[in-house]
Amino acid sequence: MKYEIHILEERCKGCGICVEICQADVLELSPEANEKGIQVPYPKKPENCLNCGMGEMFCPDFAIYVWVNDDEEEVRE
Amino acid sequence: MVRFPGSKNSTHHHPADPLLYTELLPTVWCHGCGIGTTVHAFIQALKDSSVEPKKVCVVSGLGCTGKISTYIKLRSHSAPYGNVVGRAAELKKENPHWHVVVFLNNADFLLTGARDFIDEAQKGTDLMVLYINNFLYTLNKTQAFPMSPFIRKSVDGKFDLPFNIPHLAKTYGARYVARWTPLQSGWLKHSLSEALFKREFGVIEVVSPCLMFSCDEGRIQDAGEKMKFYDDRSEFCYGENTENLDLRKEGKIRVGLFIESGRPLQEDHS
Repeated sequence: MKYEIHILEERCKGCGICVEICQADVLELSPEANEKGIQVPYPKKPENCLNCGMGEMFCPDFAIYVWVNDDEEEVRE
Repeated sequence: MVRFPGSKNSTHHHPADPLLYTELLPTVWCHGCGIGTTVHAFIQALKDSSVEPKKVCVVSGLGCTGKISTYIKLRSHSAPYGNVVGRAAELKKENPHWHVVVFLNNADFLLTGARDFIDEAQKGTDLMVLYINNFLYTLNKTQAFPMSPFIRKSVDGKFDLPFNIPHLAKTYGARYVARWTPLQSGWLKHSLSEALFKREFGVIEVVSPCLMFSCDEGRIQDAGEKMKFYDDRSEFCYGENTENLDLRKEGKIRVGLFIESGRPLQEDHS
């Protein structure tokens, strides 16, 4: 995929700002809690990502970022 | 436990990692608090602007806002109660080529540190003051202080009229005045990089009401609702006269850039 979404689980507090702010409906809170009792978001539809940077910008814990894979081309339906 | 694709074993690092003490994360602030978003906007502004991180010094005081200097891997300084702006001005005087950024909260600013703020604003010292206004003092809801909203009163029934911070800053000669909420994080980032670039006394107010206000009533409890609150309430007034910006009555939060009358950057002193 062109845009890889990385979520650093050990930093996440599960506040859900990134899920709320994402316009492309990429992220969703995971149904199961991890060992800290936090529902960490996961990329449900990573192919929708536009690399707008909003989820990364709003995260107060520096836990999510998008890495641009230069080797692959963007595929959009 | 379910392992989701793309969420584990990342081989790369977060772009902000070089400027953070990553072993201290996650941060201590509540879900939906605007301080974390402000810090992220500040770090992105540093990355976007041409300012060298070696020349930036962060000064903060006490309370939740005071913890900011703990997380940022820059020259950081924690000043005693009420002396934050004064200490920042001393640092600036000793090191004229530094960019000094001051993170203030209500106790540092309006209760004991207001005299220093006014002095430095009148002198035109090159400081960037980032005032995070959470409408709360010492984490209780019963004590009146200079920024209590007009609709609330203390146990004694005392009313205090809150200050209009952009107007106060303009009156004492600040050269760059803006107000944003954490929802306008992109504009906040742009404002911060502009104010860092201009090297003059700038005041940026971030209106971020503390979650303590509504935690016992159960109204706003998660970050998404807080963002919707900012979206409903904020209103863009670019270049508005600062007299019209008070938060005294219940209503819209007027945000925008109000004063931008500085000289351009003379090339760096070093």
